[in-house]
Amino acid sequence: MSVRVRFAGAAFTYAGGERPAVCDLTVELAPGEIMALAGAPGAGTTTFLLLAAGFAPRLTGGVLTGDRTSAVTRPGIVFATPWTQLTGLCHTVRAEVAFGPAQHGWARERVLALAEDAMRRLGVGHLADRDPATLSGGELQRVIVASALALEPDLLALDDPAAELDPEGADALYALLPAVAETGAAVLVATPDTARAARVATRALLLEDGRIARDGRPAEVLA
Amino acid sequence: MSANGGGGGGAGFDVRWERVRFGYGSGPDVLHDVSLEVRAGESVALVGRNGAGKTTLTRLLMGLARPRAGRVSVGDWDVATKRPDEMARRVGYVFQHADQQLFARTIREDVAFGPRRLGLGEGGVDEVLDELELAGVADRHPYDVPAPLRKLVALAGVLAMRPGVLVLDEPTAGFDRARRDLVVAALRQRAAGGVTLIAISHDTAFVREIAQREVVVEAGRVPG
Repeated sequence: MSVRVRFAGAAFTYAGGERPAVCDLTVELAPGEIMALAGAPGAGTTTFLLLAAGFAPRLTGGVLTGDRTSAVTRPGIVFATPWTQLTGLCHTVRAEVAFGPAQHGWARERVLALAEDAMRRLGVGHLADRDPATLSGGELQRVIVASALALEPDLLALDDPAAELDPEGADALYALLPAVAETGAAVLVATPDTARAARVATRALLLEDGRIARDGRPAEVLA
Repeated sequence: MSANGGGGGGAGFDVRWERVRFGYGSGPDVLHDVSLEVRAGESVALVGRNGAGKTTLTRLLMGLARPRAGRVSVGDWDVATKRPDEMARRVGYVFQHADQQLFARTIREDVAFGPRRLGLGEGGVDEVLDELELAGVADRHPYDVPAPLRKLVALAGVLAMRPGVLVLDEPTAGFDRARRDLVVAALRQRAAGGVTLIAISHDTAFVREIAQREVVVEAGRVPG
């Protein structure tokens, strides 16, 4: 089985951090896998996502030790603070969702088709002409997830992606993940909503104090 | 009961939206002739789909947005006659995106800013930090703690101002069970003290635990 991301004895310390945010990470993530990450705030789930997607330490600074091997070429990431991900350059939701794929230099028709498809899947097609600055929190979170999907990511990393969604929206979002995984993408989802995550995840990690405390079947790890 | 002082003492106020119409910029109305009353000391949850208008409704309370028609009042104050910083004496607002209201270099300074501005001193700051289990990180920069903790910091800053009306936008989103319970306990204590509580939430268990009444907001309307 091919591997999308592999950690072997990896540890990461943020710039100015007194101790590693995560350590002793030894784990592999395969294409098509949906891995749920659970842990109390500060346990290291967000850092794990950033490392897997290659955002840390490249964008965050800090020091990574041990080994990380990555075959990820197109990461899509949704932060727990989705409002920080708006480009600030786009006056419509359609342009916002199209912004990412447009940076890949793909043909305009392909970019627009990807944006339309992602908006439809997240149920925000009716907001396509709205200014992103006027969206509600839940609408914005859907738009940011759509923006990540429109990239056709080979790794989709989601940090509590349904925190601001109504229950129907949260169910719909999690129901999308198997289809994303079927494209060959690896999916990582950190969330305290273990019930929804357990329904779709193929594997789960429990992090405690920066270390992997459990790694196994979602029904057992997330119980 | 309706207290009519300047605020900052924790006594609740009646809150009223009367035939309110609102839209963003030159866009269409997103609130349509909304009338709603929350009595002083009452705990109410605003529920409804994303984009229904819940947050917009509460932003009007702070004067952060002005209605196209109708009247919004908190106690005997017509919000139209007050600036947002004046409204902060009566209404404490915890934003859905807590980072929008954090700016100091340490968590303690952030929590102390509001009460200091209101002339309340800093006597209650450590108490609130302890209550929300933030004392151990009080000297850290707000952005050096995980996002869910930043949300608790924003709540602490608002509680420290002892507002008569507490407005919370998705206050438990992203929380684990332990922190959710902390929030519930803190809010119940304020409600027991007579504070008017208005919470927007999709967390149905949380709503059941803190609200005496649920108000459904649906496509910019509050069905009567």
